[in-house]
Amino acid sequence: MSRPLGVVVVGVGFIADAHIAALAAQSGARLTWLVDAAPGRLAAAAHRNGGVRATTDLAEALASDDVDAVIVCTPNDTHAAIALQVAAAGKHLLVEKPLAITVADARAVADAFSAAGLTVMAAHTHRSYDYARTVKQTIESGELGRVTLVRLAVLGGWIWPDWHAWVLEPARSGGHPLHNGVHLLDLAAWWLGTEPRSVHARGARVTSAALDIDDHLEMVLTDVRGATAICEMSRAHRPASFGHRDLLVVGTEGVLQLDWQDEAALVVDENGVTALPAATADGFAIQLAAWLDAIAGEPPVMPVADAVTAVALAVAAQRSIETGEPVLLGDLLSGAGA
Amino acid sequence: MTGRVRVLAAGFGGIGTQNHQQDMYLPAVTADPRFDLVAVAPVAEGPGRARAAAEHYGVVCHESLDAALQAKDAVDLVCLAAPYERRADAVTAVLKSGKHVLADKPLAASAESAAELAALADEVGVALVPAHHLRLGAIVASVRGAVHAGRIGLPWNVQADLLVAGGDPAPGGELANLALYPVDVVLALLGLPVTRVYACGAAALPGGGQAPVTLLLDHERGVRSTVVCGRVPALRDIEPSTPVVHRYRVSGSHGVVLADARKPAAELHTAHRHTAVGTGRSTLSALLDAVWAAVRTGRTELTAWDAVRAGRVLEAAARSLRTGKPVDSRSVR
Repeated sequence: MSRPLGVVVVGVGFIADAHIAALAAQSGARLTWLVDAAPGRLAAAAHRNGGVRATTDLAEALASDDVDAVIVCTPNDTHAAIALQVAAAGKHLLVEKPLAITVADARAVADAFSAAGLTVMAAHTHRSYDYARTVKQTIESGELGRVTLVRLAVLGGWIWPDWHAWVLEPARSGGHPLHNGVHLLDLAAWWLGTEPRSVHARGARVTSAALDIDDHLEMVLTDVRGATAICEMSRAHRPASFGHRDLLVVGTEGVLQLDWQDEAALVVDENGVTALPAATADGFAIQLAAWLDAIAGEPPVMPVADAVTAVALAVAAQRSIETGEPVLLGDLLSGAGA
Repeated sequence: MTGRVRVLAAGFGGIGTQNHQQDMYLPAVTADPRFDLVAVAPVAEGPGRARAAAEHYGVVCHESLDAALQAKDAVDLVCLAAPYERRADAVTAVLKSGKHVLADKPLAASAESAAELAALADEVGVALVPAHHLRLGAIVASVRGAVHAGRIGLPWNVQADLLVAGGDPAPGGELANLALYPVDVVLALLGLPVTRVYACGAAALPGGGQAPVTLLLDHERGVRSTVVCGRVPALRDIEPSTPVVHRYRVSGSHGVVLADARKPAAELHTAHRHTAVGTGRSTLSALLDAVWAAVRTGRTELTAWDAVRAGRVLEAAARSLRTGKPVDSRSVR
């Protein structure tokens, strides 16, 4: 293809800005349409992006000659239907995680793109962050031996808006395991590189007992070789400014540890002592480049099968929170427990 | 009672090549001016280690624990590191003789047995202090004080990791050995009983040993903790059987404590090695503080009931590992 890939962005909420910025930095692709159900928000986004064409009807954009691919940034419960529409239109897709909010829908999306010979990638952006790539490379180097334990915590204070936010509605977001927890589950499964066996999870509503979702998650994944991955995800910590990531990988030959302060300087000012994060690579830009490479025929860094597994892991975590019992992945992936 | 605490060191059992009496307790006791080593004795193991220690420290070596207890030596405290299978019997014998006990950990083979010992110590009116010394470390003690003082509000979650590099793996796995330490620390930090335990990990590894074990504990009042513990391979610049990771994160309603329990320590770089050098008092010294207070005042922050509480959690964890299901820890007696 001689011209840059024409890309539609569907859903112009805050995460869309990160994808659009990544597009702007890529010579191989360009933003051609914006789509959103809310006309006012859509018009403002189109204005911010140089008057790019905008529509509330995805079909109108998909029918345009200058559209080759789609980036979906809409609420989680809409992902599957939009993805199937994109596949039917013959376009490639990058969809914000999770791929869908049920295992059956995730499978249907994967199958549709496979049948059409199109590329679909779920935006598990953490795979494109420096720390995650470093861990993957270190594990693959064999230096740690066989991995027996992963401990990953991504913790923060409350960032979500008021009670009306769709992320707080389980029916729309799928719950916190599917909305944010799925990042950690995907990383753990990716790093372990083996078949997940079970998930046991605990959730808590720390910020308010009136929440409909758990804002603190402890999700423990075990794989078929007996390795354990403890994935802790929080929007519950205090003070609300608390931002903390912690990582520990144990193998039969060594230990890899990335402490919270290891990627930051300390700044002491009138607000006290706080971490000053290092300037790291733009994960969204790396992810976009990987997606374009996959469309061009390169092996995907985020195969759709992994995205289906991530959905299954998150669904298992949510179910385990509700039942208090471990959930076997085989049951979910085979459809027996879906 | 006034003056120095007179000590009988009995039992030289250990795991693998470990010999806690010889390597830990005797050096600490003899270096502490508050204690006076007066005799040693084997418990059920061969007499060689006891005789060597007696010769090294210039004290009497009795033929057995029974013989030592019947001798006319003036002894206040028995520092007991009996072989694991004889531990409860040995503690019982010492308690019935009216002596205070510093007992190597684990105190007994079961929580039920530990509870019997704790009750006997209370009945006799002597101190029975289990060697849960990691809870007495400088950082852990500070964190405990801060949490109990309300610095972070009400705690709602604790994450704990203890990974030890090198050394001899415990024959029954580290759930029955090392895991006692972080579980005890978490119990001390929260002071909240455990209601439910789920355990996973600890898979047998192809080259021998076990993967780390993970414990998910539900405490009263909806508080939760997660404890990871295990022995990893020998690592460069880490002394055998010392922690490569030992830390606690306590989340509370008004803040968070992040604690590296290997501190306070300096970093030593030389042409030959890079290692941490502890700058504070050792946890063993702190344990002797607790023992001394128990003998001299009858009060201590560490009692045999702490061993009972930790033992119940570990037994529930062992059952959970076997079944793959969470276990109501209140069903463990």
